[in-house]
Amino acid sequence: MKRQNRLGSRALMALVFLFLYAPILLLIVFSFNKGNSNIVWTGFSLDWYRSLFQNRLIMRSVYTTLLVSLLATAISTAAGTFAAIGFYSLRRRSRAALNTVNSIPMMNADIVTGVAMCLFFVAFFSFWGDFSVWFNSVQSVVVLPERLTLGFGTLLIAHVTFDIPYVILSVGPKLRQMDKNLVDAAQDLGCTWMQAFWKVILPEIKPGIASGALTAFTMSVDDFIISYFTAGSSSSTLAMTIYGMTKKRVTPEINAVSTLLFVTVLVLLVIVNLREARAERTGEERRPVSQKLTRMLDTPKGRIFRRGAAVVLAASFLIVVVLLTGATNAQPVVNVCSWGEYIDEDLITRFEEETGIIVNYQTAESNEALYSLLKSGAGDYDVIVPSDYMISQLIEEGMLAELDYGQIPNYTLISERFKGLTYDPQERYTVPYAWGTVGIIYNTAKVEGPITSWSAMFDEKYAGNVLMFRNSRDAMATALSYLGYSLNTVDETELREAFQLLKDAKSRGVYQSFVMDEIFQKLEGGNAAIGAYYAGDYLTMLENNEDLAFVVPEEGSNWFMDAMCVLKDAPHYEEALAWINFIASTEANLANMDYLWYASPNQEALEQYPAYYEELYEEPLDQEAYDIIAAPEEVLERCEAYLVLPLETRKLYNELWTELGI
Amino acid sequence: MSKELIRLRDLCMAYDDELVLDHLNLYINDKEFLTLLGPSGCGKTTTLRIIGGFTTPGSGDVLFDGVRINDVPPYKRQINTVFQKYALFPHLNVFENVAFGLRMQRRPDPADPKRRSKLPEEEIRQRVLEMLEAVSLKGFENRRTDALSGGQQQRVAIARALVNRPKVLLLDEPLGALDLKLRKDMQIELKRIQQQVGITFIYVTHDQEEALTMSDTIVVMDKGSIQQIGTPEDIYNEPKNAFVADFIGESNIIDGVMVRDKLVQMYGRQFPCLDGGFAENEPVDVVIRPEDIDIVPVEQGQLTGTVTNVTFKGMQYDIIVDFRGFKWLIQTTDHSPVGARIGIKIDPDGIHVMKKSRYSGLYGDYSSFSDEYDELDTVEPEEGGDEA
Repeated sequence: MKRQNRLGSRALMALVFLFLYAPILLLIVFSFNKGNSNIVWTGFSLDWYRSLFQNRLIMRSVYTTLLVSLLATAISTAAGTFAAIGFYSLRRRSRAALNTVNSIPMMNADIVTGVAMCLFFVAFFSFWGDFSVWFNSVQSVVVLPERLTLGFGTLLIAHVTFDIPYVILSVGPKLRQMDKNLVDAAQDLGCTWMQAFWKVILPEIKPGIASGALTAFTMSVDDFIISYFTAGSSSSTLAMTIYGMTKKRVTPEINAVSTLLFVTVLVLLVIVNLREARAERTGEERRPVSQKLTRMLDTPKGRIFRRGAAVVLAASFLIVVVLLTGATNAQPVVNVCSWGEYIDEDLITRFEEETGIIVNYQTAESNEALYSLLKSGAGDYDVIVPSDYMISQLIEEGMLAELDYGQIPNYTLISERFKGLTYDPQERYTVPYAWGTVGIIYNTAKVEGPITSWSAMFDEKYAGNVLMFRNSRDAMATALSYLGYSLNTVDETELREAFQLLKDAKSRGVYQSFVMDEIFQKLEGGNAAIGAYYAGDYLTMLENNEDLAFVVPEEGSNWFMDAMCVLKDAPHYEEALAWINFIASTEANLANMDYLWYASPNQEALEQYPAYYEELYEEPLDQEAYDIIAAPEEVLERCEAYLVLPLETRKLYNELWTELGI
Repeated sequence: MSKELIRLRDLCMAYDDELVLDHLNLYINDKEFLTLLGPSGCGKTTTLRIIGGFTTPGSGDVLFDGVRINDVPPYKRQINTVFQKYALFPHLNVFENVAFGLRMQRRPDPADPKRRSKLPEEEIRQRVLEMLEAVSLKGFENRRTDALSGGQQQRVAIARALVNRPKVLLLDEPLGALDLKLRKDMQIELKRIQQQVGITFIYVTHDQEEALTMSDTIVVMDKGSIQQIGTPEDIYNEPKNAFVADFIGESNIIDGVMVRDKLVQMYGRQFPCLDGGFAENEPVDVVIRPEDIDIVPVEQGQLTGTVTNVTFKGMQYDIIVDFRGFKWLIQTTDHSPVGARIGIKIDPDGIHVMKKSRYSGLYGDYSSFSDEYDELDTVEPEEGGDEA
């Protein structure tokens, strides 16, 4: 009986640990996978680590992360230590109150802290703008910058802010453990307060400071949410970059970088814990080596060395700061916001090398997310790549800058078919980036006969095997297409009819789930049979699962165009035009088309792509695949682009979507 | 012979509206061993901290050698302190603890008087080793302080303070953490050291026995005021009021009336005594020490009472006797059983008459006497953080 119990509890413990660590283990294992699947093991390789270190985006964000974490750790450790000493010298009651105040930020939801800081910074910048304009107008001795933006500075401030409580929390107990007469004793023996601090308090609380600093560093490296809201368009931490990369699908490259991040944090935690464990043991046998070192450093030569080391440390710190500010000020930059996995990253490197302009490349979740970022003032980008209907809305709201096409000679390469489209009829604001169609992707091994109609998306026959879009516009579009209505209809009865179709299908259990990029995993792994998604993404999935097929249904579908625009008041207008021109070139379009498998709007690129493909892969491009990337005229004819919907219709969409209840 | 070194003039101090020092006036002579004695919260530690410079008085002056030093920080005062629980620096060994003050010292450079230089390492070494020898800690230089016994730590603390050759040494309940035997040894040791170095010691304690053993002068304090200043003998034999009488040694304190000089009336009976200078028929407090009472047969007694409690104390018996509801403590070598009727006799020099004070009626009745109470009385809770 007893034995059984023990076995049961062991099994339970094993299960707990399995649940805790299995996901991370899986991630680590697949970071060494040869292929690019997260499900199928194809052999051991370090390729993903190699490609990781060659990825400029990742390397730059690693640099940003380390820099911000180190600086934030240094500043917050100093500030937190002094704050802790301040708390300590207070009366008991005020100290307790302050400790509570201190611990609130730690327990507060990160998202709240992040949003609050973002709002605060934006509000401050607006106030600063008014103030500096006035200040610059009344005097001419000092010229204040009139425009401040979110960036490394705000990121650093945010990190320092959320790190400080952790330092205070770990220094405070050390101070309370300290004999309260020690400081008096030091002063009694000839120390000023400052000397007492260095000679007596500091050695006593050093372990607390060290573990506070380590915790702060770990927290900084770890943080995603607060950074996301405060980093602005010009800096990305590693966590942010990883998040941006996962928007499309989890590549083994992300596994590799996540593994490294996990190991880093793990090592830091182990160090912290070891320190604490060691501090708990009585200190009789500890630090013979460090004592020797201390004694060595106490000789006259040692003192010179010590002073030298301090100077070198201080100097290198200064150099880092100067480099940091210098680098950001001296070099021209352009801030780009696009979608995840939506560019061949070599293009960024090439552009930077050719022009010397640094590209800060960030990604947004969706058109709607981009829109709210812009509205909140947190996204002060230069170039964005929204989709057609969102462009109309941005133009309507006067948020885009007119482009100087004289500086974009490559615009002439854009196919006439894709110029002057409904969202920008007068060709004033946009340069097309990529286009594609929406269709049904299905698994031929699980579905009988070819699918040709949207009806498959509502068919009980496939109950539990269908994946539907998790955004209202695309989901409704499938139903509207099926019913033969316009994708841009504003007729409430038509919309309600389409909605009913979706709702019924949902209640009959047709849908396995409503997804966006999770569709990659599900279809590649054979976990679902049918899903509606973008043509280019189908080809990516095909690489990992040959049974998949794609169709633009006979009823017609949505075709979309994403185009590059420059935001009004973009701080780097010239650089933005240079970037747009570079991306519009045939070369860049070929590279992107090959990387994205979305169609290029560049006429030359469209024509040259099959030859380009053959040269690159030493095999001819399948005509069928080409037609899926760049839908031929007869397919496009039955497709319709999204237009911006009137406000009431957008409201209705929201209502219906809520009613669907996902 | 001795000249005045420190004067405290009209010191007042309040924490959170609570008066800790109430117009305190005191002078301390050079080379004197002075003890501030009183119960917890009487203001003795605050007084010491004001002299040390760790606390600034609310009002009043601190004079050192005739110079006002209220605003002089501790590190500029020629005063060193031995703290409660020693406050040794845990990250330094014994040698470095003692050397700490010397390493902080700067003095005019003999070569270039305009510059101030550190003491030479050799001098520091020599002085530290001398000092360690003086407190019998030779050979302990490289020990960690937390590897020492309480008494050894105590001596390191004393060495650390004295090595700076201060004019005054402040000691804040330095023996509180030691056991009884060690405490007695250290009392003698401290007195010896004081006589050897020949400087002023200002000693804070709540232990009356410690105060009586070591001090040249005892300052009895209560509620922020000085109750009495005097030699140990004065304080014991001529307590000024019921508080002092009770705090120093054991006392029976009885309401009385001074009939005229050298005649006091208690329990309606007149007792000859040696005191005078009171008004006729002035109500007074009468102190009778337990050892000054002789037990006699009932018929010979000035007073008669009933024995209610007897405790054997080794050298004597502690006997509680009920005199018409008021219980006295009598220390005697003669045994009387509980319930016995006895008479007592008091010699005139065993009677000490005090003026009435605000302490009258609070002390001196042994109704609640027991060994336990006595024990509890001497164990003082640690002084609160706010007072220190």
